[in-house]
Amino acid sequence: MELERKRSLALSKGTIRSLYKAGISIGFALLLTSVLFLLTGANPFLAFYYIFAGAFGNVSLAAETLVRTTPILLVSLGLAISFRCKVWNIGAEGQLYMGAMLGTITAVTLGNTPLTLIISLLVSIAGGLAWASVPAFMRAKLGINEVITTFLMNYVSIYLIQWLLAFPFRSPDTLFPESAQIPSSAVLPVLVPYTRLHLGVIIALFVALPLVHFLMMRTTFGYKLKAVGENPEAARYGGINVGRTMFMALIISGALAGLAGFVEVSGIQFRMRPSLSPGYGYTGIVVALLGQNNPVGVALASIFLAAIFNGSTTMSRALGQPQGVVDFIQGVLVIFVLASEYIIRYLERKGVLKV
Amino acid sequence: MIEMEWALIIGFIAAGIRTSAPLMLASLGETIVERGGILNLGIEGAMLISAFTGFMGAFLSGNLWIGLLMAILGGILTVITFGILVVRINLDQVVSGLAINLLAAGLCLYFFRLAFSQGAFPYLSELIGPYPIPLLSQIPVIGEVLFNQTIFVYVGIVSVPITYYLIFKTSYGLKLRSVGEDPLVASYLGIEVSKIRYTALILEGIFVGMAGGLLCLSMFNVFDTRIVAARGFVAVSIVILGRWNPVGAFAGSLLFGFTEALSLWIGTFLIGPESASISQLLSLLPYLVTLIALLIGGRRVRGPAALGSPFSKE
Repeated sequence: MELERKRSLALSKGTIRSLYKAGISIGFALLLTSVLFLLTGANPFLAFYYIFAGAFGNVSLAAETLVRTTPILLVSLGLAISFRCKVWNIGAEGQLYMGAMLGTITAVTLGNTPLTLIISLLVSIAGGLAWASVPAFMRAKLGINEVITTFLMNYVSIYLIQWLLAFPFRSPDTLFPESAQIPSSAVLPVLVPYTRLHLGVIIALFVALPLVHFLMMRTTFGYKLKAVGENPEAARYGGINVGRTMFMALIISGALAGLAGFVEVSGIQFRMRPSLSPGYGYTGIVVALLGQNNPVGVALASIFLAAIFNGSTTMSRALGQPQGVVDFIQGVLVIFVLASEYIIRYLERKGVLKV
Repeated sequence: MIEMEWALIIGFIAAGIRTSAPLMLASLGETIVERGGILNLGIEGAMLISAFTGFMGAFLSGNLWIGLLMAILGGILTVITFGILVVRINLDQVVSGLAINLLAAGLCLYFFRLAFSQGAFPYLSELIGPYPIPLLSQIPVIGEVLFNQTIFVYVGIVSVPITYYLIFKTSYGLKLRSVGEDPLVASYLGIEVSKIRYTALILEGIFVGMAGGLLCLSMFNVFDTRIVAARGFVAVSIVILGRWNPVGAFAGSLLFGFTEALSLWIGTFLIGPESASISQLLSLLPYLVTLIALLIGGRRVRGPAALGSPFSKE
């Protein structure tokens, strides 16, 4: 009792509300997924057991889940910044690809030098940032809806990269449209032997996450993000440069997406491929919304979705379910994240819930 | 020789109009709802769902027209779902649109794989082809270009004046525009804001259903979750460039339809070792042109005043 009161004192009202929202969203999404499993003749309990076992069943599976978490977390941390000021960057997929492509070109061109890895990582950050700066400029200076421009730029970047990989930067030693292998000095070292768990997870969890947390919670920029997101007119009246804040938010999210791209190349793939990302840019949107733009929430949501990503492969194989359960869960999750505010208000009116 | 070139050019113009059809239908639908103050970015997802329901309907029944009916139903259903989120629950329109897109992608991918086993390659054995209009299609040049098209092109073209009339000359249109400018004042004047908006959304659902359905039923004979390829977002851009006017939407659709046809057309003419490379690069042309057009024609334009903002009387 005493302990409980202390805990409830430690968590602010907003945090509790956020936790309720996340809980309601996940609860409803899993409920709907269970119905789907029942309809397709699978036992939902068994299905979720297989998903969990496939994600955390042993050390190497857990390591794979963390491997999957890395790009999702990097992307969604950036999106949390952008969404906080209500700039809806849905172009993370393209920014990720641009960062990965430019990072790979840099690594291959430099060859084996002590600085290859660092320079390539920086170039990938710059690449994502530059790609995002176009819609950011159009949004901040010309007032053009960033949702449209960021999404259209995904197509430009992916077709451009398909062409780059099929022709000018095609690998000399394989038959596929992919880049040459990056030099060994550009590879992120493996942390746990016999797994693919690489240094990227440290970059995501222990460098990017605290940095973004600090930026959002402890700096004036973080305050400006929130002010612009809540009421741009009031923020402008209060002396905040709204356009500049939006511009910065969008390019920072692009930079993190670009980093995610090259981390994926140098930790896992070792070559740039047109199939690099299975939609991490879009998964990042779901994660940022589910984590309610809170860096810690985003980290938890990243692990959650990475686990479903990996676990559902095991589950599909075991139960003969089609691939793509993860996409279904992602889709319904977003709807319930949106509706959860309404559900909470409804429960409050009925007196079931007090927040 | 000259005759052959002439035939090629006519063929290109006809193809340009044909590829404009989905954009025409989608942007007319979007024009209607945006005039009522609703920004539906879920149009991309609604087109995907209609393509899927259209494909499944046609594949299972063996009848393309049943497919089209299913596509329209899929479109209406998806747009109504979006409507419940933004009209009934008053959620953020942009986020709700994104949510619909993600939901649509998830549902289509899952159910497509559920319906067909891995490695199966379902396709429709026929498509809704051109329907030459008797007599008119015999006119040289114009007949081939305008009157030997699919039903979707005819519906798109005929809908331009109808939509214009609906928005600017009817009492419904007047109510719609006032709801889009200031829903609060409109509701004081006794206009039922949500009724007007739901009606607009159902109309959009019909248009978007046809636009999505025709992708599977008339353009390609297969379904893929990437089939819409940002056409929904291009349609939203066209609405901005066309200044929320059906005539502008029509002109914009032609511009982008022709760009898409051009990028394919140039590809067929290229010869030599570089041809495959260049024609692949040309695939990004329609998106690049849309972005450039927005950069030039989309700056600080003023749409309906209440566009995108939630409204509740409370």
